[in-house]
Amino acid sequence: MSPGGADADALKLLFVVMLAGAGILWLIVNGLFYWFSRRRPAAFSERSARKVVVFGGVIAPTLLVGGALVWGLSLLPDQRAPGDGLRIAVTGEQWWWRVEYWPKGAKEPIVSANEIRLPADRRTEFVLTSDRVIHSFWIPALGGKMDMFPGRETRMSLEPHTPGTYRGQCAEFCGASHAWMAFEAVVMPPQDFDDWLAAEQEGAAPPQSAAARRGLGVFEREGCGACHTIRGTEAIGLVGPDLTHVGSRQSIGAGRLGRSLDDMVRWITHTDELKPDVRMPAFPQLGDTEQRDLAHYLKELK
Amino acid sequence: MIFRRPAPPVRPEPDGPYPPTDEMLSTPVPKDEQAAQTKRLRAVWDPPTGWRYWSAVNNTEVGKWYSLTAFFFMLCAGLLALLIRLQLAVPENELLPADRFNQLFTMHGSAMMFLFAVPMFEAVSILLLPGLLGARDMPFPRLSAFGYWCFLIGGVFVLGSILFDAAPRAGWFMYPPLATEDEGPGSDIWLLGLSFIEVASIAAAVELIVGALKCRPPGMRVNLMPLYSWYVLVVGGMILFAFPPLIAGDFLFELERSFDWPFFDPTRGGDPMLWQHLFWIFGHPEVYIIFLPSIAIVAMIIPTVARRPIIGYSWIVLSAVGTGFLSFGLWVHHMYTTGLPGLSLGFFSAASEAVVIPTGVQLFAFLATLIAGRIRMILPMLWIAGALAIFTMGGLTGIMLALAPFDFQVHDTYFVVAHLHYTLFGGMVFPVIAGIYYFYPFITKKQLSVRLGRWAFWLIFTGFNITFLPMHLTGLLGMPRRVFTYPEGLGWEAPNLISTCGAFVVAAGFAVFVWDLIRPKASQPQIERNPWKAGTLEWTHDVPEEAWGMRSIPHITSRYPLWDDPKLLERVDSGRFYLPDAPEGRRETLVTSVIDAEPIMVQRVNTPTWLTHLAAAFTGGAFIFPTFHLYIPAIISGTLAVATILYWLWSSTARPPEADTKDAGLGLRLPTYVSGPDSTGWSAMWITMLGDATAFASLVFGFFFYWTSQPDFPPSGAEHAALGFVALAALGFMVSWALTLAARGLNRRGQESAARGALICGPIATAGGLVALVYAVLPLGPTTHVYPALLWAFAIWISAHGAVGLIMQLYCLAGSLFGKLTPRYDADLWNVSLFWHFFLISALVACALLGPVARVL
Amino acid sequence: MTEEEHPPQADEERHEFSADADSLWRLTLAPATWALHFVLCYATISLACARGLFPVGAARFWLLGLTVLALLVIGRQGYKALKQWNVLDTGALSHPDGRAEDRHRFLGHAALLIAVISTIGTVFTSFPLLLLEGCR
Repeated sequence: MSPGGADADALKLLFVVMLAGAGILWLIVNGLFYWFSRRRPAAFSERSARKVVVFGGVIAPTLLVGGALVWGLSLLPDQRAPGDGLRIAVTGEQWWWRVEYWPKGAKEPIVSANEIRLPADRRTEFVLTSDRVIHSFWIPALGGKMDMFPGRETRMSLEPHTPGTYRGQCAEFCGASHAWMAFEAVVMPPQDFDDWLAAEQEGAAPPQSAAARRGLGVFEREGCGACHTIRGTEAIGLVGPDLTHVGSRQSIGAGRLGRSLDDMVRWITHTDELKPDVRMPAFPQLGDTEQRDLAHYLKELK
Repeated sequence: MIFRRPAPPVRPEPDGPYPPTDEMLSTPVPKDEQAAQTKRLRAVWDPPTGWRYWSAVNNTEVGKWYSLTAFFFMLCAGLLALLIRLQLAVPENELLPADRFNQLFTMHGSAMMFLFAVPMFEAVSILLLPGLLGARDMPFPRLSAFGYWCFLIGGVFVLGSILFDAAPRAGWFMYPPLATEDEGPGSDIWLLGLSFIEVASIAAAVELIVGALKCRPPGMRVNLMPLYSWYVLVVGGMILFAFPPLIAGDFLFELERSFDWPFFDPTRGGDPMLWQHLFWIFGHPEVYIIFLPSIAIVAMIIPTVARRPIIGYSWIVLSAVGTGFLSFGLWVHHMYTTGLPGLSLGFFSAASEAVVIPTGVQLFAFLATLIAGRIRMILPMLWIAGALAIFTMGGLTGIMLALAPFDFQVHDTYFVVAHLHYTLFGGMVFPVIAGIYYFYPFITKKQLSVRLGRWAFWLIFTGFNITFLPMHLTGLLGMPRRVFTYPEGLGWEAPNLISTCGAFVVAAGFAVFVWDLIRPKASQPQIERNPWKAGTLEWTHDVPEEAWGMRSIPHITSRYPLWDDPKLLERVDSGRFYLPDAPEGRRETLVTSVIDAEPIMVQRVNTPTWLTHLAAAFTGGAFIFPTFHLYIPAIISGTLAVATILYWLWSSTARPPEADTKDAGLGLRLPTYVSGPDSTGWSAMWITMLGDATAFASLVFGFFFYWTSQPDFPPSGAEHAALGFVALAALGFMVSWALTLAARGLNRRGQESAARGALICGPIATAGGLVALVYAVLPLGPTTHVYPALLWAFAIWISAHGAVGLIMQLYCLAGSLFGKLTPRYDADLWNVSLFWHFFLISALVACALLGPVARVL
Repeated sequence: MTEEEHPPQADEERHEFSADADSLWRLTLAPATWALHFVLCYATISLACARGLFPVGAARFWLLGLTVLALLVIGRQGYKALKQWNVLDTGALSHPDGRAEDRHRFLGHAALLIAVISTIGTVFTSFPLLLLEGCR
């Protein structure tokens, strides 16, 4: 309800006006009903009662509803306008988001997951699809939603204006952990966004701290790379989210937990509890230090 | 001449004075004759007693069971809702696991829609319609009973699955691929269990339409019908066009679940969008199927409260018909976010807004009646006031949601949850409860408590608003529906907690209401006969209760006969009108013409039986066994069901009567047997086949849908159905159709042997056509791609119908051989040829698609 | 003509206001026109946008033509219904009595109102054709 984009602004205005109109109409209809059933004024003649039907039942609603229809239709093209250049391809998975940035003219996408960054005051186009079941892509504060189908591409666009972090969420029921399929949408000033995108394109930095280096060992030993990609390492799995810059994301587990080290540990060791039926196995067998080392390593992937 | 052609038998026409004059109606009936008549009527109509009571087929009994069962299912679904609200009371709640929660909301929605809302309409209509129309019973009482037992078995099966943690869990609209890929029997239970109930719903719709059209009292022209029966007519028609697409969808869906035919699997050319279309072509009219009958109840109560005739009768009829049509142009507003072209969304947005107008007309017609009347507040009116307050709110948010851009924002959020509960509580639950308070004296001859009623109202009304008003906000704050929990810190905690508290207030209100319904009332005196001083026919009911419906069936000349004709009641009671007696010991009701309700015949209606229970149980088996992949028992059960139904039809429908005509009272002699378009059976067949044709049309829609939405359909180089065999099949069906028609003509002209010959050759041609059709698709692999799968689906659909057609032909042959079907008594053959007209059209369309069309596209 | 001059006779009533079974179907003609128009709009746009059979601009143009045609058909139904209702001569706005004439006028009145609703529905359906361009 606090819009952060042009599309949401238009919708909010539409909503507020209609809400006011609806409130007035509701009061009129129910007020009339109350007045006549409780106060019992003298009965109207049949002729004037008929006029109530004609005016209240046909003429007034036709005009009001017709007006609303024209306004609503006139908003429709903006919500679906083509973007200014940047395209973001998002694939809904059970239950996370595969994200690819396609700047204008790009041959190769910049791959990320579970977080979407957008430049402010630009219209960004989204190309949406899904792997198995239907999901729906939605950032409430920025605008409307669009469903994601397996084997089909749908499109929408958004034009945010206020930099900040907004929550996005899957809106179409998609199985056991539908509730935990969220993401952060970060709107940045255009310059910051370009810098961020350039950094995102780079591979992962090698681990710096000792703990992180040990963590890399754990990562390799446990075979995490079979499912996850960390560009610049041997991990090239495509089943799960890309982790190249997981340490810089605002949340983990597709919006499930915060970004602290403890959250990371909790995620690795209690995956199934946190997200029912998730495909990633939990790793409770890791010792305390190993858990923390692995978490350190991942947190350092900025 | 040796072979003299026998003269066609004489078909009697109604004979005698009609309409009756006042003088005829004033002739008194002697007291002792009245007593004798009463005794005979009572003997014929009283339902059986003891354990045999459950074999009753009287509309009053079946209607009572039906509505109580639907109400019970509603309470169960309400309990599920309480669990849902408990889980959502606080963030990250661990009361219920995700899987269980998903089963709960799926069952809550499915049960409320399929086990409560639609059956409740049918139950109430079966209970009330004969009373409103002064009929003795519904035209096909055994069909109502069969429908009820199907509903009971199916409902217990579907709802019971939640106790075994095996309930469907993909949401009540079962979107594939989630629902097709779901492991476990949940989705199958939904598909097969509810299909079973849908078939029963259609049966009830057929019966209600025939009832409203042909079982009205003499003189009740269409402009005099109680508004309720107009609504029944419209809603029945809507069921015929809305349910079949879902049944077609279920058919494809179950083929995918059972045999892996990829109708909705995008990797093999399928498309999950087809299900969404089929589901919502059903789903949106469904909302109005629920809403209109409840409005119809209000339309019966308002004139009584205002103590004057309704204002805008034609306007309300217009609204019902208009809403019925427009509601079929709304379905895509459930699919605004699926990426359809903006223009398409625009059309549906327009229709969604246009439907506001007929809905508004109804409300304003009620309002106008009230302001022009002298209002007498009675308890049902309180519930109607609540309904209005809630429904207008839901309607106004509906106007917002109909605008596609706004829907993009709040689609699939708690805003929609709030909206739909406002429309359904305001448009269905409150009016139905108002109806229960209003008609309770009619049904039980006792009154419900005003004090408890007020308590229940205020608890449910405030509880409802506490629950659902905050949900608008929760949705606007971004909470999607169907989440089993939610994180802290998004501002969703407070509204969710408030909603949960409200839900328990609603539950308390329902507890009060249920107590009022079931508390013992033996000490309460019976009510006076017309406690609300209403003007419509149902209030001529007898106190204490009599099972005959109407002592005698009156001639009607106004919309409110009890207000306009002070002598009516006395004349009905003393048996001065039609059918005052049952000298042959048979249950009878009048059949009248569609527009002007002129008497056509005396219809014999059926008596208590256990056959309906057997038929329902076997039919249930045919649907329930496949859920567990037990196909052999399913086939056996299905065969037994067919056998039972055949025996039922054979033993009790269209039997030659003992006399051609009978005295219907007031000097009018009416036929006791009519075949062809005047008969109720023929109308029922026509209406059934209309629904069946709609289901078939949905499959054809599927074919063209794939062609439109898939770049490669039929896939280039795909193997088609064998053209020669397709042509042969078409030929076989045409020949068989011609033979059936010939048999009807020959039989009517008295050439029974020739007719029998045609009825022997007909089935052979049918069988030939069926074999050819199967051969045409046999080489195709239905699991490889959606195209061969769809051809197979067509072949199965046509084969199943062809098999039914074949059985019908044999049934007529047997009838002719054993004297059930004669040149004079040929209703069966008329009905069967009607079936064959429809079947031939669908078979030829299917053959055209399988053969030439698929090759040209 | 008034009843005093010419009391209605059973036969004549039967003839002038004869009840053909079609008159119920006639109620549905106007909304059926709306429905057909609606389905054609939807199908044409789908074929233009999803199948790409013809350009969407041309489709809009032809569909607007179709809208005019549909409105003419509905208008004709409405006019016939108005004559059947015959309110201008009789002045009777409602028809609560049991004579054939009441039933006849009632069906005219209802058909007229349904034609009005169908007109509104059809006009609404044409709004997107006027306001929206292209397939997005």
